[in-house]
Amino acid sequence: MTTTTEPTGTAPEADERELLVDARGVKVHFPIKRGVVFDKVIGYVYAVDGVDLQIRKGETYGLVGESGCGKSTLGKAILNLEPPTDGSVVVDGTEIASLKGAELRKRRKDFQMVFQDPMSSLDPRQSVESLLVEGMRAHGLATDDKATAKRLRELLAAVGLPAAALKKYPHEFSGGQRQRIGIARALAVEPKLIVADEPVSALDVSVQAQVINLLEQLQDEFDLTYLVVAHDLAVVRHISDRIGVMYLGGLVEEATADDLYAQPLHPYTRALLSAVPLPDPAAEDTREQILLVGDLPSPSRPPAGCRFHTRCPWRQETRCDTERPELRVVEVDGVPASHRVACHFAEEIARGEIQPHEVAPTATTQEWHGSDDGDAIGPASLAEAQAMAKHTENTAGAGGF
Amino acid sequence: MTATATTPRTHRHGDEPLLSVRDLRVTFTRQGEEPFTAVDGVSFDVRPGQTVGLVGESGCGKSVTSLAIMGLLPTRGNRVEGTATFDGTDLLRLSGSDMRDRRGRDIAMIFQDPLSSLNPVVPVGRQVTEVLERHRGMSRKAATPLARDLLQRVGIPDPDRRLKDYPHQMSGGMRQRALIAMALACAPRLLIADEPTTALDVTIQAQILSLLKELVQDTGTALVMITHDLGVVAGLCDEVNVLYGGRIVERGERHELFAEPRHPYTNGLLASIPRLDSERAPLTPIPGSVSDNLPWTSACAFAPRCSQPVEVCTRQTPALEESAGRALRCFNPVEVTR
Repeated sequence: MTTTTEPTGTAPEADERELLVDARGVKVHFPIKRGVVFDKVIGYVYAVDGVDLQIRKGETYGLVGESGCGKSTLGKAILNLEPPTDGSVVVDGTEIASLKGAELRKRRKDFQMVFQDPMSSLDPRQSVESLLVEGMRAHGLATDDKATAKRLRELLAAVGLPAAALKKYPHEFSGGQRQRIGIARALAVEPKLIVADEPVSALDVSVQAQVINLLEQLQDEFDLTYLVVAHDLAVVRHISDRIGVMYLGGLVEEATADDLYAQPLHPYTRALLSAVPLPDPAAEDTREQILLVGDLPSPSRPPAGCRFHTRCPWRQETRCDTERPELRVVEVDGVPASHRVACHFAEEIARGEIQPHEVAPTATTQEWHGSDDGDAIGPASLAEAQAMAKHTENTAGAGGF
Repeated sequence: MTATATTPRTHRHGDEPLLSVRDLRVTFTRQGEEPFTAVDGVSFDVRPGQTVGLVGESGCGKSVTSLAIMGLLPTRGNRVEGTATFDGTDLLRLSGSDMRDRRGRDIAMIFQDPLSSLNPVVPVGRQVTEVLERHRGMSRKAATPLARDLLQRVGIPDPDRRLKDYPHQMSGGMRQRALIAMALACAPRLLIADEPTTALDVTIQAQILSLLKELVQDTGTALVMITHDLGVVAGLCDEVNVLYGGRIVERGERHELFAEPRHPYTNGLLASIPRLDSERAPLTPIPGSVSDNLPWTSACAFAPRCSQPVEVCTRQTPALEESAGRALRCFNPVEVTR
């Protein structure tokens, strides 16, 4: 993988490539319902709350953030696996958000998904052959038996599995091999876009690298476009051309991988990057860490103004608390136009005119009414935990419907 | 709040080891099946105030090692051999009730998933006071203010209110703090942490790691850190043991080990993780998976996945050879480049 992951020459020129995904103002709100006989909607979880996202052909876009930030939901919304509440998603010239039924199923041929846990995303009672053929049949790609058999062998070879694997069942493989089957299944229908949701986080370190290399190699071979959703910043940096950082349902910063790591501008990105442990004792001993205080607020009651202001060490009086910052290009030396930040004071912070201050940990007091954002796999979801906390409090107190 | 990462103390070489594990071997037996040796002759020392890391991938035996030391393996279906001498007593030979006296008082443990290691139907405060009642013979009334102080010390805001909270009412990071508070209740001399931050988000992980570092520094507690994350080890541990297939394959002081990994497995692990702090270089994965392992009895288990095997690797068991504070189990170690 050398051609596509490396930004060719200067980064902005890559913008000439055609747009494959153009999402505008995407919102996914999950209703919170309560009631004994009739469900009454008593609030919403604002899992994704107004995100613009463009992905160009042949590019790898990395979406990072902590659990509960809405990154997985956004990934699903782009495939219409989770119909967006509001906004438009145009994939390859077609508006996806409003598609339904047979029309949508037909379009799904062009965009496939690779899931986090290969064991639970592969049917244990289907052989590998049947798993791979199923999608091809559904899309009318498996009409000729001979050609299908050839195609299956090609697919397995592409993901580095022996042809003998066809007759085997998912439990007969190791975790890394299962993930390869999941990838082969996605490839079987010749998609243009693959959304990979935490593709390597369930794998051991040594196997992770195999799968990462495989994804990169397949991108070259089949001219794929990736949207990689992950919480591991090192993995995302490695695999992505551009990266979007999410916090509580919104993008807070977007830049090319190298720009983002060279000069993170949003306070949250800075804290996130400084929190990742480095496998290098000398670097660990000397580096500055920005320790964030407290937990992620609940996405059902996001803070007003900048969503990060409750934990931000650079927060300034009133403006941060009341006005939600837009993703914008900042005027800082050496920062290209492709680098956008949602922070009112990004320039001042970058120039060192605003110094970080102490943040008092606040016990989370927002109310909550149950349900989570569906991000149950992965790191113990703080949002989810608080959700449950508040749920019990409320049911004990209110006890009504 | 901004803080420079604190440097772990250099360990005091003169000290007698607090915990001395020798030739620990855990074999799981099941009727009608071949016995499986999960831990295969592991030896290491932990000195007071020292942080020792056990690193390896899933199935390397790192967790079973800690469970065996704590006497937490099921009573049937396994065989534990070797010794684990803590302060002059062999923990592996203690009776159930003697071990229960020690556990929580002298030795405490923190687990990966705080939700499943806390009792879901008992308030967190009660679970902390329970430790004090059991080991210090305090009344619940006397223990409550102490529990409150403990929660405060591990950084739980509003501890008075949190005492009455049930585990599900807390966030993941908060639960892990509560668990640490329980572990610290009797000021143990040894703390075993089994993947304490794996289930947490990265910003919360940073909080917990800095808390652990601080506690070890303030109280002089010895810490055994079990993890798969080389990044966590790099910042926290004084000495690092790398495990593969139930055996220690390499041991060294953290700076030396990360700068000059000698075992091809350690070297391979470091080459296969993407780095956040350097330019994108192609990853070199370790080929194959743990299922390719050879039995240690007549070969090096890692040989089929090794980048530089020699003929003897598949014929003979390599021994763990110690020299100058490092230990290595390899016939053909990686050349030191510098």
